[in-house]
Amino acid sequence: MMCRVRLVTLRALACIVLSAACLVAQESDDSHREATVGMRAKIMQLVVEGSELVPAPSTSESVLVVRVLATWPHGDHLRYDLEWVGFEEGTYDLTKFLVRKDGSSMDNLSPVEVNVLSVLPGDAFEPSELERSPATRLDGYTTTQIVTGVFWGVGLLSILFIGRKWKKKALPAPPKPTLADRLRPMVERVASGNADAAQKAELERLLVAFWRARLDLGSVRAMDAIVTIRNHKEAGALLRQVEAWLHAPEPPAKFDVAGLLRPYRAVTADSLAVTSAALGGGN
Amino acid sequence: MTAPADTAARFVETRKFLDQITTRVGQVVVGQDIVVERILISLLTSGHLLLQGVPGLAKTLLVAAISKTVDLAFSRIQFTIDLLPSDIVGSEILDQKTNEFRIHRGPIFTNLLLADEINRAAPKVQSALLEAMQERRVTIGNDNFPLPAPFLVIATQNPVEQSGTFELPEAQLDRFMLLHRLEYLKPEDEIEVLRRNAKLGVRRDGKGAVARTEFDVLGEQEKGSVEQLVKAMEDVQEVHVSETFFEHCVEIVNRTRKHPSLELGCSPRAGISLVKASRARALIHGRDYVVPEDLFALAEDVILHRIRLSYEAVAEGHTSAQVLQEILNEVAK
Repeated sequence: MMCRVRLVTLRALACIVLSAACLVAQESDDSHREATVGMRAKIMQLVVEGSELVPAPSTSESVLVVRVLATWPHGDHLRYDLEWVGFEEGTYDLTKFLVRKDGSSMDNLSPVEVNVLSVLPGDAFEPSELERSPATRLDGYTTTQIVTGVFWGVGLLSILFIGRKWKKKALPAPPKPTLADRLRPMVERVASGNADAAQKAELERLLVAFWRARLDLGSVRAMDAIVTIRNHKEAGALLRQVEAWLHAPEPPAKFDVAGLLRPYRAVTADSLAVTSAALGGGN
Repeated sequence: MTAPADTAARFVETRKFLDQITTRVGQVVVGQDIVVERILISLLTSGHLLLQGVPGLAKTLLVAAISKTVDLAFSRIQFTIDLLPSDIVGSEILDQKTNEFRIHRGPIFTNLLLADEINRAAPKVQSALLEAMQERRVTIGNDNFPLPAPFLVIATQNPVEQSGTFELPEAQLDRFMLLHRLEYLKPEDEIEVLRRNAKLGVRRDGKGAVARTEFDVLGEQEKGSVEQLVKAMEDVQEVHVSETFFEHCVEIVNRTRKHPSLELGCSPRAGISLVKASRARALIHGRDYVVPEDLFALAEDVILHRIRLSYEAVAEGHTSAQVLQEILNEVAK
């Protein structure tokens, strides 16, 4: 009998202790049923009837997210440690954000209300809606490369060829007058006394050219050629006469210009063939 | 113009004087007949001369010999990077005894000035000298001073060592009537130089002695006079220049301006220099009139430093000398 009384007493004490523990836990959980926007809060040792609960799938639009930290059996029920985060101000029932793991109904479940507080003043405006930018184009790389390459090539060719003076195919130049062709008319003009200083100078240069050709001095420097011509027995004498006529302050008396130039009238285009005898009879 | 008979007589005297100079200089300097002729041309026409050549070709000796032979005052300035214009023209100096400024005349106050390695001096020094060459007077302080007459600058530059030099721009090169490029001596002339040098011996100086150089020989030269030189300068002005010769000059000068390989052709001053130098050369060679040979002989020295190749011609490897020879060949072809 005594034993039975003790057993009943012990059971009663156990119930009292458990009830007290539940009350303490309930009181401590109440302090975590409020949190500001974005801050995490926990509800510990929450006993919920029925089969096991798991967090409902959340979206970017969800105003509150719940995580189940731990689960223990609690008689016929289950006891949970929960963590939650609210994203918008208001009072929410956590059970709305949980679902049965086995998919059974959540009806007749006591609400577990939490309060999400805002730290912003009431008249704070909402941030602007994010604008979705169009996705970067990921295809068409090869096409872009080809188009860019074509433009680059066109640009390069433009730089290389636009504005360049193209060498035109040279038209066949009219044959240059030969030395003889130039010499004869000049000799005639000077011999007739109708030449000005420029024409006399031209004649003198042509005579030097004539002797350069005749003495095969075409590849010799001009100065060396003139020295050679002046030192040449036949050419030197003739050239000095021409120089005396053209450059001396007073040309020699009775100077026979026509006679001096007469041999050069006989110059032919082909061979500059003037005989020594003809050239020697100039003066 | 003087009558031909008088002219011929005067030229005989002048020829004798010029021959004496050439002979006397030839006793000291060997194998540089062309350079001696160019210096005489410069002297007779008061046209400045730039000699370009490697060291050791007796440039200084040659100029010193000419000055001694004609009895001209001679100064030499070695151009360096730290030379100042006042080192050439002179400056005002405070006389501490009188507390007044007095003029210290620089070495430019001479008849014959040798500007050795002119391209080593800074441009402002070159410019000071070239201004004096052009105007034949210098300014020191607030006063102008005419330079002595005759006044001739013979400058030298070394074409090899270009590091640390200031190349004379075309405008300043144009002030030089002639730019003559010296070449090495012929082997037989070089042997004669060595032979003469071996006979120089020593010169006693007090109780000691030093080896004699060619400069010591200069002191023993018989001297001509400035009056003879002035007479020769006057005779140059009597040398006849025909219209035909003017035509030749203008033809060559114009061709330098039209040649496709040349960016810069000759200035009118080049034509003037051609005529002046040709007259002096004609006199030296015993003529009282110029002939085309004078023109062709002097063309390189008168024209080459006054033309500038185009970029394309340089890229194609042409040289100014080649282009000038081409022009001269075309003139007589």
